[in-house]
Amino acid sequence: MTGTRSASLFALALLAPALIYILIIVAYPLFDTVVLSFTNAALRPTYDFVGWANYQRIFGAGNFTEVILRTFIWTFFSVATKMLIGTLGATLLNAAIPGQTLFRILTMPPWIVPMAIGIFMWGWMYNGQFGMISGLLQNFGIISKPWPILAQGSSAFWATIVTDVWIGVPMVTIYLLAAMQSIPKDLYEAAWTDGAGRFYRFRRITLPLMMPAMLTMSLLSLIATFNSFDIIWILTQGGPSGSTTTMIIDTYKTAMGSRKYGEGAARAVVICIFVSIFCIVYFRAVRKLSQGEAK
Amino acid sequence: MSQLSLKHLEKSFNEARIIKGIDLEVSEGEFVVFVGPSGCGKSTLLRMIAGLEDVSAGEISIGGKVVNDLPPVQRGIAMVFQSYALYPHMTVYENIAFPLRVEKLPQAEVDKRVQAAAKVLQLEPRLQHRPGMLSGGQRQRVAIGRAIVRQPKIFLFDEPLSNLDAALRSEMRIELMELHKRLGSTMIYVTHDQVEAMTMADKIVVLDAGVIAQVGSPLQLYHKPDNIFVAGFIGSPKMNFINGNVTSADGETVKVDLGELGTIALPRQSKAINGQSVTLGIRPEHLTLEGGDFALTITPKIVEHLGIHTVSYANLPAGENFVALFEGDPKVAEGQPTKMGFAIHQVHLFDEKGLAVY
Repeated sequence: MTGTRSASLFALALLAPALIYILIIVAYPLFDTVVLSFTNAALRPTYDFVGWANYQRIFGAGNFTEVILRTFIWTFFSVATKMLIGTLGATLLNAAIPGQTLFRILTMPPWIVPMAIGIFMWGWMYNGQFGMISGLLQNFGIISKPWPILAQGSSAFWATIVTDVWIGVPMVTIYLLAAMQSIPKDLYEAAWTDGAGRFYRFRRITLPLMMPAMLTMSLLSLIATFNSFDIIWILTQGGPSGSTTTMIIDTYKTAMGSRKYGEGAARAVVICIFVSIFCIVYFRAVRKLSQGEAK
Repeated sequence: MSQLSLKHLEKSFNEARIIKGIDLEVSEGEFVVFVGPSGCGKSTLLRMIAGLEDVSAGEISIGGKVVNDLPPVQRGIAMVFQSYALYPHMTVYENIAFPLRVEKLPQAEVDKRVQAAAKVLQLEPRLQHRPGMLSGGQRQRVAIGRAIVRQPKIFLFDEPLSNLDAALRSEMRIELMELHKRLGSTMIYVTHDQVEAMTMADKIVVLDAGVIAQVGSPLQLYHKPDNIFVAGFIGSPKMNFINGNVTSADGETVKVDLGELGTIALPRQSKAINGQSVTLGIRPEHLTLEGGDFALTITPKIVEHLGIHTVSYANLPAGENFVALFEGDPKVAEGQPTKMGFAIHQVHLFDEKGLAVY
């Protein structure tokens, strides 16, 4: 008994530095945010506890539900597109094609270029007067006058998704490529010997064996996209007319723009809850998958 | 007519010639083993037959039809891989059924064939399990099951037992031999283990650096090796080699000077000629402590007492290794000079090129 206790204490002592670090960096700010979300903190030296008032306000009269819905749509299309292009890209890069290394290198620039520079580049391309996209469409006669993509609600919404996809695809591709390369070559040879064609092999071997990696990547991408701030902020600052305002932008605007720290904290807590739900769903899926394999 | 025929088969990877002109005929129902050391090209040869490697030159015919450019599935072969190549996300049932699903056979037929294979391989209780839950031997059986359901003309096995422990290996060896008897199919089996080759094969193909060193039955290879490579490769412990010079060869008797070990007279009609450098080969198990036509005094460095056998390791005056294998537990001690004899009819003789001169 004593031995077990001293072993536990020893383990705790070893973990202590990491635990203290996590407490300071993660736990305390999180706790403080939750506390703040129940206050009317603003740009004043004091604040009062207001109970659930902030939560009632954001889910009540305001447009936060609309923002949540927009965030989900934005995240869904962005993640789905990244996963689709990433999977296709990884498959192509994994195929024995001439110049394979060159193609692999060419997938990297969006990831290598500093994000802000990449976003500004897209901002220029979206410009109606001298942007490349509007110019090309006019040259081809598809549109007759300049198209200020970021100035119109629906096009701005999809434009921010396109930029997010452009930035996010390389990581998804490289990650899935690594997962694809870890599938033993023997499995494909065995399937080929049995007469399975390329598509059949992809459907019945590659995809199922890549599922854990795809799940992990989906979650990582989901969290990153859900919390994606810089792309929207640099391109549209949530506009025009809030058409690209996602939860994170809305939270920032509330907390930093309107200086309503308490309400902003409540929004941040809601984001945190959503992300936690994603994680729970992910871990359940992974557990189910590994149980399936162990059967 | 042979079922599989290889004619002047060659394979190169860039500049490296791996298979250097192989000619081989395999009859229907034969159990043929390709054996040889690592890098001799045996697996490459098997993969060429399977259609997993292109042929650089030459011809592969199966059932009289040249199959060089046919994909594996059209060659009528099924292959069992060294790693088993089981699909980890599928059940045993689905693994075995995989080729039948590819063929899009009706479910009733799939079920019939899978159940039949599972029965033969005693996998019935495991059909709903995944490969991760199976032992090495069971995984091997699933891989064989996947090959069986295709009802191929030729089974190809690429070192299928090399991942198993010694006990399971010998168990699976027997199972494979029984399976061969039951199915009566042609089987081509690659191994680097000469014990597997000797115990399982109807015909052994010994490969050395991309060429066939000898083809024959296990006992043919053991008793009448064509060359020093086969003589050294087949048999465990390996054959002892002693260098010498022919001092006289009159067509009836060959006398070989073995230096400090003396001169041995071999009463045989041999192609050996006077003055020729030769290598004399004698198997460790052919040495005796008493009797024999010719005796050597050997001082063992190491002696292994295995109960059933005693193995002595020594060096000859010229430095060659010399191993002796005696039945039971005779009195052989390390560092103690011991007389070891052998019958001269069990001596093998090889010329400077390593070819047998009988």
